[in-house]
Amino acid sequence: MGSILIVAEIQKGALREATFELVAFARKLADANGSEVKSLVVGSGVADLAGTLASKGGGEVFVADDAALANYNVDGYTKAIRAAVEAAGADLVLMSNTPTGWDVAPRVAAGLDAAFVSDCFDIQAEGGGLVFLRRVFNGKLDARLTASEGRVVATMQPGATSAYEGSGDGKTSELKVDLSGLRAKFVETKVAESKGVDLTKADIIVSGGRGVGDPEKFPEVIQPLAEALGGAMGASRPVVDAGWLPHEYQVGSSGQVVSPKLYIAVGISGAIQHLVGMKTSNFIVAINKDPDAPIFEVADVGVVGDLFEIVPALTSAVKAAKGG
Amino acid sequence: MKIVVCLKQVPHSDARLDINGDGTWIQEDNLKFEINSYDTYALEEALRIKDAGEAEVVVVSIGPDRVTQALRTALGMGADRAVHVNDSAVEGSDALGIAKVLAAIVKAESPDLVVTGLMSDDGNFSAVPPMIAELCDMPSATSVLKVDGANGSLTVERELEGGAMEVVELPKPCLLAVQTGLNQVRYASLKGIMAAKKKPIDVKTAADLGVGDQVGAGAAKVRMEKVYQPPKGEGAELLEGSTDDVVGSLMNKVKELGLL
Ligand SMILES: Cc1cc2nc3c(=O)[nH]c(=O)nc-3n(C[C@H](O)[C@H](O)[C@H](O)COP(=O)(O)OP(=O)(O)OC[C@H]3O[C@@H](n4cnc5c(N)ncnc54)[C@H](O)[C@@H]3O)c2cc1C
Ligand SMILES: Nc1ncnc2c1ncn2[C@@H]1O[C@H](COP(=O)(O)O)[C@@H](O)[C@H]1O
Repeated sequence: MGSILIVAEIQKGALREATFELVAFARKLADANGSEVKSLVVGSGVADLAGTLASKGGGEVFVADDAALANYNVDGYTKAIRAAVEAAGADLVLMSNTPTGWDVAPRVAAGLDAAFVSDCFDIQAEGGGLVFLRRVFNGKLDARLTASEGRVVATMQPGATSAYEGSGDGKTSELKVDLSGLRAKFVETKVAESKGVDLTKADIIVSGGRGVGDPEKFPEVIQPLAEALGGAMGASRPVVDAGWLPHEYQVGSSGQVVSPKLYIAVGISGAIQHLVGMKTSNFIVAINKDPDAPIFEVADVGVVGDLFEIVPALTSAVKAAKGG
Repeated sequence: MKIVVCLKQVPHSDARLDINGDGTWIQEDNLKFEINSYDTYALEEALRIKDAGEAEVVVVSIGPDRVTQALRTALGMGADRAVHVNDSAVEGSDALGIAKVLAAIVKAESPDLVVTGLMSDDGNFSAVPPMIAELCDMPSATSVLKVDGANGSLTVERELEGGAMEVVELPKPCLLAVQTGLNQVRYASLKGIMAAKKKPIDVKTAADLGVGDQVGAGAAKVRMEKVYQPPKGEGAELLEGSTDDVVGSLMNKVKELGLL
């Protein structure tokens, strides 16, 4: 058996939790098929982080350390990963399904003419081959995929498994990468500015999704329930994309991550990018007309029905109970 | 300036999804289809560049006969011409197979810019666009939420997690895979739809494009073995009964939580 190469990711000067989840997947597969686990750390001044990864299960860690890699650069990362795949003799490359992973991993796969499977929640070794499990149709169905002989590049969904907690005594080795001719140029990173609505402070959030159907319905149906409960209003991404509500109302991986005492999801299907923004809420209520909507899997209580019937009735009941 | 837009036709977001006979995909007969949501934003962005200056917008799609309708819609919105790869030999391709076909078109068209969606709403692969860029040896950026500057190079903003943005500069030709929300998508006007009837749709096979041996299930390195209903976990306690009953139960829950 060959080796599994983990491409580590650095965020705010530290290795991401998702990287140690990759270590957990890699160790599981290595135990099953005898592969060797190796890793790649890309950046500038990252020798210490490489050492950390080597001591925490990353195996032999290649370090592509260069001022030109201080920030993410699609061309630079493609070259560094290609060089590491050669150096490691990797037949499986694992990355996280993050903005970095989905930007570069398919490029690496195409360049190597390798199989590519994205956003898996599990990989299993089966009968000498690999089986990949992932969601399709925004979480409405699951899929099981297999790869033919040869090299595979896969990205894994962050949070799909627990971070590896074992230790190791891998060595680190410097990786020479030819970084001439980079076409993409990093300019800057802009952090999200918070405007007015800070949903993270609300005890109760009532969020509306595409199922609300119409911008007028937010002040008519969603906001009154939020107000009656003394909570805040939130939204899924399509609502914000359509301009029905400003971006600061968006809950999810590219919006705010909230954890209120009560989260009411109205007309929201429950795609993973929404779920990661609210699933740690203390109590979740879902109102959706589709009994198979994935939101019901994370909800504590669900109502299968028409939101336009249930939400106004609930609003009246809350108002009556509060003596309003 | 020439812009190629890749768009895929996918089942309508409200469509009921039934699994097909051999369990490998959904039953597509009699389903309503639409242009992939991400790709409507890709087309809109290309049309805005065209409106702001001079550009030819070529829409490209791989898929069966039904795709003609998506291409007509795109032409009605303002695209100038279309290339439709309609070839049963492409069925069963993996993302790399699809990317090889699209890359062959991009190489033949040699545009200044390729615009795609970030992800398809059916397969959710997020794979094809960076593959096209790699195969065509051009730089690329995904999750694009803003595009500026038209000469020589583009300055784009990529969406990161939590709403942060990464600003990058790419020389042309390059590929941008756009995220939803970067613009407000127009509708096809009646005049546009009438004009679209005269615009050409060039129908091709993989063999015409010189990639006949690189597509289909035979060439695919990844195989979709089966799709299935996600295993139900504990799930939610479903409240049953009339609207009054349901609201009564919900009120009890809220009271139990001490939130009333
Ligand atoms: C990189 C990336 C980042 C993303 N970030 C986010 C994010 O931060 N937040 C986010 O929310 N999404 C995000 N998304 C988008 C996400 O994948 C989904 O597309 C989105 O969450 C779907 O929103 P929705 O549930 O409102 O719409 P849909 O999936 O269209 O669901 C609408 C629901 O409403 C129900 N419905 C319709 N009518 C009624 C009615 N009358 N009564 C009751 N129910 C009804 C339907 O059954 C359906 O389940 C991101 C995607 C990507 C690729
Ligand atoms: N069959 C296709 N025809 C044209 N473009 C496609 C096709 N499949 C994927 N694409 C493009 O690639 C993007 C990402 O799709 P995917 O990698 O399949 O998630 C889509 O938003 C389209 O722009």
